[in-house]
Amino acid sequence: MGSSISKTLGKLFGSREMKILMLGLDNAGKTTILYKLKLNKIKTSTPTVGFNVETVSYKNVKFNMWDVGGQERLRPLWRHYFPATTALIFVIDSSDTERLNEAKEELYSIISEKEMENVVLLVWANKQDLKNAMKPQEVSDFLQLSENLKNQLWCVIGSNALSGQGLLEGLSWISNNTSKK
Amino acid sequence: MSHGVYLGDTPVRRPGVSTNPLMRKIQRACKMTLPEPDIALNLDVADYINEKQGATAHDAATTIVKLINSRDTHTAVFALSLLDVLVKNCGYPIHLQISRKDFLNELVKRFPEHPPMRYSKVQRLVLTAIEEWYQTISKHSPYKDDLTYIRDMRRLLKYKGYVLPKIQAEDLAVMRPTDQLKSVSEIQKEQEIAQAAKLEELIRSGKADDLREANKLMKVMAGFKEDNMVNARQSINVELNKLKRKADLLNEMLDTSTESDLHNNETIEELYSALKTSQPKFQKIIEEEHEDDDLVQSLLKFNDAVNQIIEKYNLLKIGNKEAAERIHPTHLNDIEVSQSQAGGALANEINLIDFGDDMGATSPSPTPNTVNSTTNNTDPLVDLLGDLNIDSTSNSITGNTLSSLQIGGGISLDSTAPASSNSTAPFPASSADPFDLLGDFSYTSKSTIAAPVASAPDNTASITDLTQTMKTINVTKVNVVKSSNMKIDFDLSRVNNSTLKVKSLFSNSSPNRITDFVFSMAVPKIFTLRLEPQSSSILEAFSNEGVFQNAWVDNAIQENLQKKPLKIKWKASYKINGTPAEETAVFQLPVL
Repeated sequence: MGSSISKTLGKLFGSREMKILMLGLDNAGKTTILYKLKLNKIKTSTPTVGFNVETVSYKNVKFNMWDVGGQERLRPLWRHYFPATTALIFVIDSSDTERLNEAKEELYSIISEKEMENVVLLVWANKQDLKNAMKPQEVSDFLQLSENLKNQLWCVIGSNALSGQGLLEGLSWISNNTSKK
Repeated sequence: MSHGVYLGDTPVRRPGVSTNPLMRKIQRACKMTLPEPDIALNLDVADYINEKQGATAHDAATTIVKLINSRDTHTAVFALSLLDVLVKNCGYPIHLQISRKDFLNELVKRFPEHPPMRYSKVQRLVLTAIEEWYQTISKHSPYKDDLTYIRDMRRLLKYKGYVLPKIQAEDLAVMRPTDQLKSVSEIQKEQEIAQAAKLEELIRSGKADDLREANKLMKVMAGFKEDNMVNARQSINVELNKLKRKADLLNEMLDTSTESDLHNNETIEELYSALKTSQPKFQKIIEEEHEDDDLVQSLLKFNDAVNQIIEKYNLLKIGNKEAAERIHPTHLNDIEVSQSQAGGALANEINLIDFGDDMGATSPSPTPNTVNSTTNNTDPLVDLLGDLNIDSTSNSITGNTLSSLQIGGGISLDSTAPASSNSTAPFPASSADPFDLLGDFSYTSKSTIAAPVASAPDNTASITDLTQTMKTINVTKVNVVKSSNMKIDFDLSRVNNSTLKVKSLFSNSSPNRITDFVFSMAVPKIFTLRLEPQSSSILEAFSNEGVFQNAWVDNAIQENLQKKPLKIKWKASYKINGTPAEETAVFQLPVL
């Protein structure tokens, strides 16, 4: 009861809470992004076996960010994290052009799930600091989201987890595009 | 925008009717206009949950408990009956839900602090349900540690003075764990479902402790599948041992009982049906675990014994006590001995093999032979490997075959002195033995040299032969298969008296490219197969003999093959147009 009152009050004052699921291939930079947002520090991380979850507050919104390991053997378990997700963040290593197609396939297999049909999709084209990184526009073209996603809000933003470039921009895009619900 | 009447993108629906199919199904099953609980509608919900998994068990449980607390008694009763069906049919995912603290608290929400003089119908049903769960799943479930809140809630109710009803034994029997033998894949599937349900519940709850546990569980689910595999194997062994004990008990009871005893002895009936129902499972386990020689061997032998007992039972039943008395399933006695020696499941298996070798040392005793002549038509080998077309000359596994089959088996008892003397003995004898096909076709992967060569007695010869194989003489071409997609031919040639060369040639007869082509072969165990990698895994459209693979079969002695032709089991799996296909058969080589 108490929590529902505070939720209603929260709505009045515009503070919200949402579950964000951050997925992507291994070595895309999900965990680095998470701790950059949470602690504003670069935490050198080993490949995530399992998941990390942190709450990041930004502009009156509490983002419960779930970062699930992206190694191949963990991918079948992603679906257990789908329920109650508001936004999906898919992180791509823009310099890893060889595995771009693999990333695309994984992305489509996630968003084709019934449980994910109402989420908003943010793609972080990460590692923009690397010389050979593809531009966000190129990544976006490659993913062909505009052709394939008719009923879903999506957005591709370039990011650099080391400098933090594009991260807050992404969160504010999510908060702006989910406020009506 | 919002004024006027217009059709939007969303389908028009009556308000209040949920768009979620699960909710709709639950609402339908609990509609107060139903005359009585509708079992079909209830099962429909259960099926839906079993199929979809994920959050469905959780959603169903929360919706149902709301309905149980609804003001309308009808709806509440229907909801309870639905819950009962789900608990009995959906397994762990729903058990986990009903044992959550929130759920149980909600379930007794309308129970007053002090028990009323008379319970309402709904209260009575809720108490019954809790008692039933307590007596069954929280005592016997393999995951009972996850279900402790049921016990706590029962204790709390008792403490408050509520009287829990006595449950009929029949009602409890439904939810008792079935002592059924399951194959590895079935056990794994169950484990996966249970682990997934638990993981989702932990994620949902989101408490720090739960998240930590979820992380651990995820590692288990992702990284240590082998662990699960080992667990599955162990539980098979446990079940097998239980069955062995049952078989033994039944055998003893049959020895001492007469025809009339048989007709009204429930225990015998029960033991009999337990054995009988486990037989198809043997076959399934053997199919799945064909690489695990020891397990397969012990299963085959056990199946043999089970067949004899069943035969004995049937004979007794029709009053043929004499014939029945002649059946002494010898294996069983030995199993018993070995169990008392060493207990554990694995040790037991080792001893089974030991037993095989003992038999090999002595000549087959007359007792098993008489047994076999009576059980001729239920010959277990024919049952299990019927498709291999064994001519059943009413000879069971003789000692010689047993020992020959175990050559190269992983367990080291074989390497003792008597065993090594066995390993040379079987080969001359094996030609006349129709059962060597039983040496299960152990698949070997294409890229490695098949089967430990060390087990062939003439291995030194065959390795030197290998160098000579290039000068082949007298190549015979035979067609193995011609399907709509592809054709396989063998070029056969004899390298020397004991070695055959088999060059497999693959042709694509379709207009489509065949990719991921993998060809595997297996020969009965008395032969040794050496394979080279195939030349490519892609067959271009209409390519004629575009891919080939060389193989040699050792110990294929000409005279022996004339008596008993060599059979090769092969399997070709590939993708055509991206869709996977598989062809497999047993091919009998012409004698060269």
